[in-house]
Amino acid sequence: MAMVQDDARVVDQQEVAERTFRLRLRSERIAVTARAGQFVMLQVHHGTDPLLKRPFSFHRIMPEEGLIEILYRVVGRGTWCLSQCSPGNHLKIVGPLGNGFTLPEKDDRTVVLIAGGIGIAPLHELMVQLTSNLQADKRHAIHLFYGARTAAELIPTHLYSRLGIMVHCSTDDGSSGYQGYVTQLFELMVNQERHRPALLYACGPLVMLYHVARWSLAQNVPSQLSLESLMACGIGACLGCALPAPHPDDPMTDSYLHVCKDGPIFKAGSIAWTKLQRQPTTPQIYLYN
Amino acid sequence: MDQASKTTDHPPDLSVQLGPLHLKNPVMVASGTCGYGEEYADFLELGQLGAVVVKGISLRPRPGNPPPRLVETPSGMINAIGLENVGVAAFLTEKLPYLRTQQVPVIVNILGNTVEEYVELATRLDGVDGIAALEINISCPNVKKGGVLFGTNPEAAAGVVRAVRRATALPLITKLTPNVTDIRAIARAAVDAGSDMLSCINTVAAVAVDIFSRRPKLANIVGGLSGPAIKPIALRCTYEVLQAVQCPVIGIGGIMTATDALEFLLVGARAIQVGTANFINPRVTLEIIKGMERFLRVEGLENIGDFIGALDTRCVFPFAEEACDLETMMSKE
Repeated sequence: MAMVQDDARVVDQQEVAERTFRLRLRSERIAVTARAGQFVMLQVHHGTDPLLKRPFSFHRIMPEEGLIEILYRVVGRGTWCLSQCSPGNHLKIVGPLGNGFTLPEKDDRTVVLIAGGIGIAPLHELMVQLTSNLQADKRHAIHLFYGARTAAELIPTHLYSRLGIMVHCSTDDGSSGYQGYVTQLFELMVNQERHRPALLYACGPLVMLYHVARWSLAQNVPSQLSLESLMACGIGACLGCALPAPHPDDPMTDSYLHVCKDGPIFKAGSIAWTKLQRQPTTPQIYLYN
Repeated sequence: MDQASKTTDHPPDLSVQLGPLHLKNPVMVASGTCGYGEEYADFLELGQLGAVVVKGISLRPRPGNPPPRLVETPSGMINAIGLENVGVAAFLTEKLPYLRTQQVPVIVNILGNTVEEYVELATRLDGVDGIAALEINISCPNVKKGGVLFGTNPEAAAGVVRAVRRATALPLITKLTPNVTDIRAIARAAVDAGSDMLSCINTVAAVAVDIFSRRPKLANIVGGLSGPAIKPIALRCTYEVLQAVQCPVIGIGGIMTATDALEFLLVGARAIQVGTANFINPRVTLEIIKGMERFLRVEGLENIGDFIGALDTRCVFPFAEEACDLETMMSKE
């Protein structure tokens, strides 16, 4: 599948939750070949600071209209710059990149999606594709577990429940749905013998993905996890987006995968989770300094 | 002369002669920023470039550094990739065949931990079909043993170049590090030891830290800064190196546009390499070539050679001549 560089026109930008923006872009050439779980490298600014493009997964792909959507949270200067652009602006974009999700072969099994915070971004397009061509009664076998720190950070869930799937929410502070982590809610419901999945998809903070990966390996349930990394190019040239991987022969030897080419979707077992570093996050109050 | 009569109909000649290498234009992609060429196949025809410098090759495959491997800084980025590469054997069997199908001179960047490793690499690459030149990486600051030792000491640099010179008939480019007190001394040592050309600069040693986690932003702590932030340093190094040696010099460092590239040529670089900008715009090299052509047309120059080294360093006060006239006039009164 060919990657292209395009000049995407900003069609629409909405703040859909706290510090969370949905950006709609026109790029026919990317929209026609994009698949759920893939990503684009997007220019956030004209000039050299911030210098690099940023990776964003497809939130929606609308090939007929030649449109794509990304969903992002303002976490630093780059995303802040992006949040300032308005309809009519043009942004350089490279894509589609990465491997994307693999859809299940059978429709009649329970599929669970787990989203943490902005990790909902790539799962929306996946939900659309999972439910398309699926009769309404079978859509109940698709469950979304969606957690955030607080209710204000949750994207309104009717967007997902109207697809006919089951939505279960959690917040760390209990302001909406279950109080606790989304992985706790998931395990609670699975342990009650409800919604045991045949297949897991997840995207969210590294610590959440780690718990999902552990569960999926222990329970022998196949999983597809969407990971992220700082990256400079997105096309396999800079080698900056390395992830530690178990070495096939020698556990003492370093071996790396690259999020841009080998991912961003990984099986739980393909990552050396214990070698991962915790991602530093900038406290919110300093974001605009 | 008016603007129209300055422009010519046929396209300006961008070709340059770099020692034994003849390039159709002076624009190359820098080592480590274009992989092994194929990564950019969807975006550009490599044959449109002056040359391709492939990702640094070592004797054995290297896994690279643990992440985080890169961090963005104002108008730049710091990387500590750790010279991840497939090793020379896989390069020859898996990567070079593709590059051979592209009509572009291929320059192989080599790196080693000992003089013997450099020599063995040069020996294995010598006489291989499809390799135009070797670029000796004596300057990568990323890995503790990965070359910084050779590049910061004139004798050590000369030792590597001399040994590689004996091992191959290929044209040799020595890539210099800016992380030295006097880059001219290293440049002279490399040329005296048999380097046909020099390229400068490699990345500038740099650190970034996070005040909240109290941690370095790179697992390797120290990395190499690249991007527009280092262009003035690179221009200074190119200028100084050209004062010290007679051989062709390839300018590298923060080149994002044709204007940036032309600045290096003005200082006297015979060619340039584009690095970090490839990550931001995979077609940037083609835009730079077009921009150079446009500049030559507007300036009424037929050959890029007429512009290379045209820097006028006389400090001239624009009114000096008139002032002299004025003094004469006043003295007559």
